[in-house]
Amino acid sequence: MALIEWTPELEIGIQVIDGQHRRIVDYINDLDEAEKTDNRDVIARVFDDLIDYTYSHFEFEEALMEEAGYDALTIHQSTHKAFRSKVDQLKTRFSQGEQVARDLVDLLKTWLLEHIMHDDQSYSSLVQEKMPRIQKQQSGNWISSAIKRFFN
Amino acid sequence: MAHLEWTSDLETGIQVIDKQHHRIVDYINKLHHSQQHHSREEVGDVLDELVDYTLSHFAFEESLMEEAGYPFINAHKKVHQLFVKRVADYQQRFKMGEDIADELLHTLRAWLINHIRNDDQDYTEDVRNNMANVSTKKTGGWLKKFFGG
Repeated sequence: MALIEWTPELEIGIQVIDGQHRRIVDYINDLDEAEKTDNRDVIARVFDDLIDYTYSHFEFEEALMEEAGYDALTIHQSTHKAFRSKVDQLKTRFSQGEQVARDLVDLLKTWLLEHIMHDDQSYSSLVQEKMPRIQKQQSGNWISSAIKRFFN
Repeated sequence: MAHLEWTSDLETGIQVIDKQHHRIVDYINKLHHSQQHHSREEVGDVLDELVDYTLSHFAFEESLMEEAGYPFINAHKKVHQLFVKRVADYQQRFKMGEDIADELLHTLRAWLINHIRNDDQDYTEDVRNNMANVSTKKTGGWLKKFFGG
């Protein structure tokens, strides 16, 4: 059974962000499985993938918040920064031969779920309000397309 | 066997983008092939080609998103920039004589699959709708000219 099951409560309502969170959850589950195998190469690979993906997700998320003018951006960024520094420490210890994969799984599990449920939920409505998807207004249905074609 | 097989879940439904993604997959497989045949010179050449092609693909993709008014374009661009930097670091390490091919292949494969399946998928509706709109208007700018609409 997977360590973390994805549930609708974890969704913040921005599809692309939900997809990224979901991928991070999958990676945490993969690391949980890899850690049980005791295979250092496999663990190292999932460890790196997980970290790279999570950091890339932070960039994406911070760019959205910045553009939407989110007033708690600096606080949110420092939360990411503090998390990054903890993970980097674990990574250093791992490369020195310590068995820290379990610590990373635990850290990520607690931190991510907490972060999604509180910090991320709080910027979601602002982003949706300030950066709406405009395709609905832009795209015409087949009738308006036909009319445009006819009169142009 | 190919290092990365093209599967239908990698399709965005935008033909021109799918073709470019397909070509990137081909480059990754070519890189794998060169590595398997222990040709360091070839690995270097393919890596350079892969980087050039990916950069122009990103530029193309970003202009489609911009034209379509995709709201998360800047966040998407940041992810592209981060990836470009990571690959440039690999390129640098390779030039310094390190054997990075294995690690790089793994990174390329994981990144591309994750990125296409989620982040690229997110802009497709906006871009497709915009393309449909452009093809019904008389003046469509470069996009219309490009697609010959």
